[in-house]
Amino acid sequence: MKVNEVPQDNDFFQPDSSILLRDRNFALDENGKFREVPSVGWKPKNDAIKFAWKNRMEEAEEMRRQVTAGKSSPLAYHMVRMLMTPPILAGYTGISRRKIKKFCKPKHFATIKTGELSRLADALSISVEELTSID
Amino acid sequence: MEINFEHRHAAHCENGVVRNLLNFYGVKLSEPMILGLGSGIFFSHMPFYRLHGMALTSFRPFPGSIFNRVTKTLGIEVQWHKFRDPDKAMDKLDEVLFSQTPVGLRVGVYNLTYFPKEYRFHFNAHNLCVIGKEGDEYIISDPIGMNKNRLAAADLKKVRYAWGTSPPKGSMYYIKSMEHYRPLTAEMIDKATLKTCSDMLHIPLPMFGAKGIAYMAGRMKKWEKLFGKRGAALNLAQVIRMLEEIGTGGAGFRFMYAAFLQEAGEFLNRPGWNQLSMELSQVGDLWRDFSYNAARFFKQREGALLSYDYLANKLKVISVRETEIFSRLENSIKRGK
Repeated sequence: MKVNEVPQDNDFFQPDSSILLRDRNFALDENGKFREVPSVGWKPKNDAIKFAWKNRMEEAEEMRRQVTAGKSSPLAYHMVRMLMTPPILAGYTGISRRKIKKFCKPKHFATIKTGELSRLADALSISVEELTSID
Repeated sequence: MEINFEHRHAAHCENGVVRNLLNFYGVKLSEPMILGLGSGIFFSHMPFYRLHGMALTSFRPFPGSIFNRVTKTLGIEVQWHKFRDPDKAMDKLDEVLFSQTPVGLRVGVYNLTYFPKEYRFHFNAHNLCVIGKEGDEYIISDPIGMNKNRLAAADLKKVRYAWGTSPPKGSMYYIKSMEHYRPLTAEMIDKATLKTCSDMLHIPLPMFGAKGIAYMAGRMKKWEKLFGKRGAALNLAQVIRMLEEIGTGGAGFRFMYAAFLQEAGEFLNRPGWNQLSMELSQVGDLWRDFSYNAARFFKQREGALLSYDYLANKLKVISVRETEIFSRLENSIKRGK
């Protein structure tokens, strides 16, 4: 890769944030020496990230339909949306995996204690009201 | 309180933290040199070790090893801590910090507030350096940012206790003593490079090193059968993310390692290494070509026309070239030129 070929395709970085996150690429200059060039991103990588997220959002939509149909609880929907799995959520909340899987069913979702509900909401970085709805 | 610490931007988080820490203690090394001394280039594709439910592909050795290898080589004493109790972990951090020692931390990026939302997945091998505290906020030197940053204590606690694949469990590390420090010598570079070559060539399992790339190519041909069209594309997306996601300097460290070979070649006065450096840079271009073609799978219309065999063949070429480059590198050290 040459210095003038370093890609600058920004899709995710905010230009005004104070930390200024950047990639840094090693590229050859005209004398065949490596130079370090900051970069804001590259299209294939951005596409890969977008594809993974798009797919995740489709799964979340599918889960939302199941919640509306009464087959799953709002917790299941928010877990898909926030990339959570029962083992990881169990780690953050201290609630057992088995219990979390149980809470993904609407019948048991109604029985969650207030304390557990706020711990779950906290780990998903949303409020309790958001956790109990699917909007 | 803020330690007078020079923050510098780096391509990779761990190299960057190590370089900035060493710089604080007066050891001036470049980032490629840290990568080389830490034998930081590798390849592994492990279908049995999962990240997001998919095979883990990694272009680096296990997190923390670069720091340990570099400091051990240079004779610097370091201290690691891990804690079960988050409050103790924060107390210890304050204690070390207030003795004017910058502290490196291993954290997860899932809750890291200053990252773009799209980058925040369950990845637990990010490194940053804590260099000060004001009120309830820590001053952070994150090497992938151009500037220093601040993070609330509660947020820092959350990222230090991230969950998922290989949780950091509050890992922290710092330099304890420079008493037995030895400046860089030719033997150190030779030894570290031999270790790299040995990792890339001689691990007797198919999924590690340069031959691991061919192994992944073989797996890739089966993806559509195993996971369906969408699952295969998701697996591919994960490979591209590990290859190019912030912090590899492009093409999974290949360009950075090429820069190391160039720098080391000048240091050791071995012109042959510059040639190897140029060839490794070309392999980096092949990796980029692979990513470029892989990205077409994420667009529905174009994806239907392409086959995974086509991509797999590209990987096989890369595997052969890397095997050849690292064998020549190994031979050049053994012959001593």
